[in-house]
Amino acid sequence: MTLILVRKTLKDFRISLTVVCVLLFLFQMLWAHVAWRISADILPSFSIGGVTIDFVRNVLFKGSGQIIQSIMGGAEIDISKTFHLMSIAYVHPLTFIILCIWAVGRSTETVAGEIDRGTMELLLAQPIRRSHVILASLVVDMTAIPLLCLSIWGGTYLGTWLMGMQESGLAENLHVDPWRFLPGLINVACFVFAVSGYTLLLSARGRFRSRVMGLATLVTLVMFLVNVIGQLWPAMEWLRPFTIFYHYLPQPMILHEHWSTAEVWQHLGVLAGIGAVGYAWAWWSFCKRDLPAPL
Amino acid sequence: MLLQTEQLTKNYGRFRALDNLNLQVAPGEIFGLLGPNGSGKSTAIRLMLGFLRPTSGRALIDGFDCWHQGYRARAQVSYLPGELRLYENMTGRQLVRFLSGLRGRPHFPDLDKLAATFDIDISRPIAQLSSGMKRKVALLQVLLPRTPLLILDEPTNTLDPTMRDVLLDQLAKARQEGQAVLFSSHVLAEVERVCDRVGILKQGHLATVQQMSELREVRRIQATFAEGSADLTGPPDLPGIKECRVERNRLSCEYDGPLPPLLGWLANHQVTDVHIEPLGLGGIYRQLHGTDA
Repeated sequence: MTLILVRKTLKDFRISLTVVCVLLFLFQMLWAHVAWRISADILPSFSIGGVTIDFVRNVLFKGSGQIIQSIMGGAEIDISKTFHLMSIAYVHPLTFIILCIWAVGRSTETVAGEIDRGTMELLLAQPIRRSHVILASLVVDMTAIPLLCLSIWGGTYLGTWLMGMQESGLAENLHVDPWRFLPGLINVACFVFAVSGYTLLLSARGRFRSRVMGLATLVTLVMFLVNVIGQLWPAMEWLRPFTIFYHYLPQPMILHEHWSTAEVWQHLGVLAGIGAVGYAWAWWSFCKRDLPAPL
Repeated sequence: MLLQTEQLTKNYGRFRALDNLNLQVAPGEIFGLLGPNGSGKSTAIRLMLGFLRPTSGRALIDGFDCWHQGYRARAQVSYLPGELRLYENMTGRQLVRFLSGLRGRPHFPDLDKLAATFDIDISRPIAQLSSGMKRKVALLQVLLPRTPLLILDEPTNTLDPTMRDVLLDQLAKARQEGQAVLFSSHVLAEVERVCDRVGILKQGHLATVQQMSELREVRRIQATFAEGSADLTGPPDLPGIKECRVERNRLSCEYDGPLPPLLGWLANHQVTDVHIEPLGLGGIYRQLHGTDA
């Protein structure tokens, strides 16, 4: 039964899933081109004119430029290295906006979408448990999230290959090993799962998909702003751990060969925990609630 | 009993939508649930399907609690919603297969035959179908699994007269095969035609339950006598006469006795016009709700 629901959901979302995967793939490819241009063309041309990398960094990341730096991944990023520049694509707003749109859009459909459309009544008139609906959503997430991650990595791999960044004879600052990006995808996957989890919770308690979608978007946006403001304003720093974006850290897992530290696992645990609690709470809420009549 | 409700009650906040409903439906019985809008019909049905959690009391289908064991209870039920919403991106065939798959029975050999009976093209996308056609598709998924209990919420809405007849025949056939049907409707003629018993809800209460066979034996008599006729002094003194009214030269009463004595009495008076018809649900419904449906 769960499998039938999973198959139906995947069929319903096949176009949007394909579009999201293609967008992520293309963006990573495009970013490989951008990173190559910066590392191989733009920065060397600055050095010819006597402008050092440190000078560029100071100009770029001073004052309000800190926002750019925090969005790019913080102080750890060395813009002279193509590998570091490539990792920015994993925390680029476009990447997580696409991921959030997918997670919010799909999870709002699971309960609130069916209720809003009036088809939940038809579905639950069959001998299926309400928990099957939530379980099917989890299986869809477990199927779709790896596909999204693979699309991101596929774009990185193809982009770096097309730009010649994988060639062994390159200067160290230009060489990129695409396999180093794979661990970062664990964080990306946990992030999508977290967004999906809390959105499903809102969906399981909601009636109108548009309202749930608006609310989930608002929650995500507030967390994003709190995280950015917290980086710029020390008084707000303590709020950052309460946002998913504080824990969205694929870059350390990409940049450090020995990424498996307690801190990294802690961030992964928080993201996975938010997703799991969201799912569990959504299951509990949905199983207890009255099903409203279609309007 | 296949379907049983015990003191079934549902409150929405402070508003009591259903109040201590006690109802039984036996296998092979068609039970009609009547009542005006807001009388609690849909709430009762939604409680039976486990869509709503009872405030108190319980509903049982084949011994399974509809809320706590909803999954098992619904395995015995096929349901046709009153407000029909289908997956518009599917064809009729895909919808029937999808819903049947959820029942663990993805294939029905009778699908095409029943679709032909209802004169419906199930290869067309549901989005392209009229509301009547959509209802026919939904009826296919209700009738095909041959579950012990069919719950139909205003099933003839949007069906043309021919298809109403087809549906009512299908329900009669289901009864012959031992299936029970709980049937909510506003159309009294349909309920009278197929139901064995009817329950009439009023403001959340089950106001009355009537055996249709008993109801069919009661006749409504309306007779007009010649002006100035001196012999109409009162109602006929016959066993079975009730609810009798005499106004000037008009007589109106209900009668559940044999016809010959009544006809004999009428023959002895100067009758200018007479109507004898089964009382039916209309009379009962009017008594409870003031107007005919």
